[in-house]
Formats: sequence, structure tokens, C-alpha cells
Amino acid sequence: MSLLELPSNRAEEWRWSDLSALPAYAEAAPTGDVPADLPWIDCEISGPRLLFVDGEFDAAGSDPRGVKVSPVRDRPGIQPLADLAGAEARAGYVIALGANGAASGLVQIVHVSTGGAAHLSNRIMLQANAQASVVETHVGTGWSNLTTAVELGDSARLMRVIRVLKDGGAHTDFAMASVGAGASYAGVALVTGADSARIEHDILVSGAGAYAEAGGALLARGTQKLEGVTVLRHATPLGTSRQLWRSVADDRATCSVMAQVKVDRHAQKTDAEQSLKGLLLDRGAQINAKPELEIFADDVKCAHGATVGELDRNALFYLESRGVTPDEAKALLTRSFIADALDRVGEEAVRAACYADVDAWFSTSSLVPSEVEGRP
Amino acid sequence: MLKIDNLHAEVDGKPILKGISLAINAGEIHAIMGPNGSGKSTLSYVLAGRPGYEVTGGSVTFFPPLPLAGGAGGGPETASEAGPPLTQFQVNDAPHRSGQAGGLTDLKLASGRGIDLLALEPHERAALGIFLGFQYPVEIPGVSNVQFLRTALNAQRRARGEDELSAGDFLRLARAQADALGLDMEMMKRAVNVGFSGGEKKRNEMVQMGIIDPTLAILDETDSGLDIDALRVVGEGINRIMRKPDKAVLLITHYQRLLDIVRPDFVHVLAGGRIVRSGGPELALELEREGYGELAA
Repeated sequence: MSLLELPSNRAEEWRWSDLSALPAYAEAAPTGDVPADLPWIDCEISGPRLLFVDGEFDAAGSDPRGVKVSPVRDRPGIQPLADLAGAEARAGYVIALGANGAASGLVQIVHVSTGGAAHLSNRIMLQANAQASVVETHVGTGWSNLTTAVELGDSARLMRVIRVLKDGGAHTDFAMASVGAGASYAGVALVTGADSARIEHDILVSGAGAYAEAGGALLARGTQKLEGVTVLRHATPLGTSRQLWRSVADDRATCSVMAQVKVDRHAQKTDAEQSLKGLLLDRGAQINAKPELEIFADDVKCAHGATVGELDRNALFYLESRGVTPDEAKALLTRSFIADALDRVGEEAVRAACYADVDAWFSTSSLVPSEVEGRP
Repeated sequence: MLKIDNLHAEVDGKPILKGISLAINAGEIHAIMGPNGSGKSTLSYVLAGRPGYEVTGGSVTFFPPLPLAGGAGGGPETASEAGPPLTQFQVNDAPHRSGQAGGLTDLKLASGRGIDLLALEPHERAALGIFLGFQYPVEIPGVSNVQFLRTALNAQRRARGEDELSAGDFLRLARAQADALGLDMEMMKRAVNVGFSGGEKKRNEMVQMGIIDPTLAILDETDSGLDIDALRVVGEGINRIMRKPDKAVLLITHYQRLLDIVRPDFVHVLAGGRIVRSGGPELALELEREGYGELAA
């Protein structure tokens, strides 16, 4: 395979990406060591489960129940890494639901990457009024590169959650979605692991009155570089969109979010909102936020906000004055900071799992007790 | 229980407290009154350890009402690396230890059988049993009252070497305290103080105090923003939770009305960063009649 065409940081939409490690992953061989404990989410109605190991479908660990497994070959030219995934994928899933169809419970997909590169190419097609909830969880230490094509028919509803809980490695995840009239797409990512990660959405609000949402929470420490990228285009009137990202960076880590809203000339009465907030837990960490709006319609509501800050000292003191230790106070407030993003997750069991992931992130924290302050 | 000796403190380089001395014994309720800007809130923040309030002189010594278990060998350095529980606070007559760094092993003991409060972090003071009721309770979106208080209570219990409370036991305790103060348990499940009215925030402070059950409560204008009924509920809450032989209260207030419900044993007038007059409950009545004018002058 050729990785020569990796995007360069000179291209604006890749300026904060760290793809430097990808060629080495492409050369490396996976170890094949699958952890015994996989991050399946317990929920009331257990739905289809698919396990992919190093980009291959693992039938023994799966219960696909009607979800098809096959790599999707898409026309190239979408985005370089997505093209690569489309060309190199040896597996992928296809969730296709006919009109009024509903998946039998939460669709769970677990990807284990034991080293090396794993490419996957997937498709989710929901016809009119169909409904599905999909959660993809990534663990391991290699590079996972995914492309997912999403097509939602009129009034279809898709909730898509991506959890990147890797112990290092790289993660590049691209989804292209078109959202039909009155349909709803919600993509929420939670990234706590991976040395570098890029979660990217390219969403076309193609039907009138559709709802689209893309965002999530990035939690980075050490030298992690995490990135959320969204391009969201309203091509039809009366659409609503939300882009809500919460970034937390500790140590020398970097979180970057680029969020774009484009409103076509005919997309009147669009209601688009962007909220990009960053929290620095260390002055040596870095947060980039780039909200972009391109509006060609004249009767629209487009709100955008980007802020970067530190934990509220008043709140820290309030918690500590009640006996909460400084580390716990920091964790509680950080958890509350990202709550806006995680509360977008509709399924209660999935939301609870996300919060548990966040708690796990804190419990493995390298947080040093706050500097010893000299007191006279 | 608490001995404040010639305490000086400044905020942003500006001296606010200019030599406060005050002794509070177990079983006593002290009221501090005084005009705006006299240093009442600063005093409460300094006692609770708020960052940015710099002590420039004097001392504050806390005498725990019950004998604390000392380190087994009686030696000063029995702390483990993991950070010792507060049960290893040393109470002795030795002069200041110095040159120690880090955590609770660095307790600089004041002379006498007490603990140098100013050497402790805010959460360590809380674990000793000190509670600050905020004049302006802070809103914390995304953290529920229940979660916050359970974390706080269990952190204190851990620090004291006690077992943590289970979720069920904690909820029972929280419900009892919320009921006693007329705060709907549903509100306890909501984010801390978010969307609470001024009165509800103050009631919530008292619910927190009831759950935490401190030894020394410093209540900064807990009566401000309360209507007459709420004032009664809060005042009775203070009596119920804190009026005990082994506890004490420092009550900062502007108004006699709260003192009609929570009867102070002593009343002090703070003006210009100093206590300018002390007396019994009758002093509060006199102030109510005549104002601070003459005293603050």
C-alpha cells in the first residue's frame, strides 16, 4: 500500500493533524493478542454485536443478527485516509434497514487493534422512518482507519456513538452522511485513548427540516493529539444542526476542533449552533478551536461560540471546602465540563458507559497533587 | 476549640484583617456583626483556606474536641508515602517542625495542644470538622448535589480513617437532612445550586452542613436573601445541627432576626479589620437600635 499521499499539515484542514506515526503502523505487524475483557455495554435489550480484530471480522466473538459483514467499496476522492480505508479494507459492516425498520436493540461494534494498521469501510443505510442506534468502541494499540457512509431516508433516525479508548496507537475515523427530510443524525464521539486521533464528519443536510449533530468530548494528556473535524452543510430549508465539542487537555497534550457550517442560498430558516469549549488542566497543554461559518442564505439563525479556559477557582474552592480532595475536585469539575457533550447520547446505557470511560480516564490519571503552595 | 491570635491578612496586597483575636470554646455560638467591608467574609475565607487570601501575621489554632489518635510510636514521622490519614495528626507540645515538605506530614504544629490551621489545605480543614457556609454558594453545572456531597463526605471519612458510606446509607442521610430543611429530595439530585433561588441555595448550604455534621461551622451571612419563613427553617437547622456541647458556631450576620432564633453566647463587632467590641446577646440588640456609626468611627 502506498502512504505517500498522506495529507500534509500545510493543507488547512489538516493543520493540526499528527499523521507522522501512520507509515510505521502500516509497516508493523499486529500481535493478535485480543484482551479477554471487551468493552461491550450491558443494556436491557441486547442487540447485534460485531467484533473486528485488526480489521478482520471475528465471527466467533460476534452475533450479527442481520447486520451484513462486507467491506464497502466507495468511489474514491472523498478524503485521502477515507479513500485508503475504502481501497484497503478487508472487512466492514453494512447496516441496512428498510422503511419503518428498527434494529433489534443497540448495535454494538467493537474494534480491537493489536498493532499495525486496520482499515475498515462501512455503510449505514436507513430508509424512510427507520431507526437505529449504533455504538462503536475502539481498543488496542495499533492504527485504526475507518470510513463510514451514512444515508438517512426521510424521517429516519440514527444515533451513532464512537468511543476511542485505546492504549496508544492512532485512530482516524471519517464519516460522510446525508440526512433526508425530517431525518435525524446524531454523531457523538468520546476519545480518551490513542496517541493521535482524528474524528471527522462530513454531513449534508439534504432534506428539509432535517436535524444533524456532530460533536463529542476529547480527553488528552501526556503528548496525545486529538482532533475533531466537522463539515456540516445545509442544502435545504428549515434544517437544524448542532456541533458541540468539549476538549480537555492536560500535561503537554493538544486537542483541536475545526467545525464548519455552510448554509446554502436556499437553505432559509436554518438553525445552526456551534459550541466549542476547551479546558486546559495544565498551562503546557494546548487547545485549538476553529469555528467557521459560510452563510449564503439571509434568514437563518447561526450561533457560534468558542472558549478556552481553566477550571473555575471558585468552584474548586467550594468543593474543597467541603472536604473533596483537590484531585477529586478537578475530576468532578472536568466531568461536569464535558457533560454537555456526553448528555447528547440518547441511550442511557451508552451514556452511562461513556461516563464510566471518563471516570476510568481520571483513575488512571497521572495527575500530580496540586503544586505545594508556600504559605507564610 | 478555635483560637485566633492577632490575625492579619490581605487580599491582592491590600490589608483587610488587622489583628483579630478571638477564642471560641466548644458549645459556644459566636456572632460577628459589622458594617460592610469590615472584613467579616475575609475572616471566614481565611479560616477556610481560600486561595488568594494571604495571612501576613498571627495564628489560628484548632483544638479538636476529641483526642485524636496519634501515631503509634508517638514519633512525629509515622506517615506513609501514600499520604497519611488525618488520624495521624500529631498533637503535641513540640515547637514548630520545619523543613518538612508535602501533604499532611508537613503539619506545622502551633505551640500548645492544637493544630496550626493555616498550614492546612481547605480539604484538610474540612476533614478536621470545619465547615464554611458560603454567602454566595457556587453553582456547579453537571455535578449533582448527591454526587458532590457523597464525594465530599467520603473523602472526609477516608481522611479520618473511617469507612465510606454506601450509596444507600448516604441517600437515607441526605433525604433526612433535606426533609428537615424543607428541600425537595428531587433538588438534591439536580446540579449543585444550578437553578436554585437565593433561599434554596442557603437551605442547601444547611442541608450540606447537616450531612457533613461538622465540629465548627463558620456561617457567612447564611441569613441573607431569606424570607421570614426560610429564615426560621435555616435558623432552626443551625440549632439542630450545631447546638451541641462538642460543637461551635461562628455566625456572621447583619441582622438581629437570625440571632432571635440562633441565640449567640457572644457578639463581636468587626470594624476596620479589628474586633472593636465584644459582649453578650444584648450587644446585637444595641446595634440593631443604634447602628454601627459610633463603633466603626
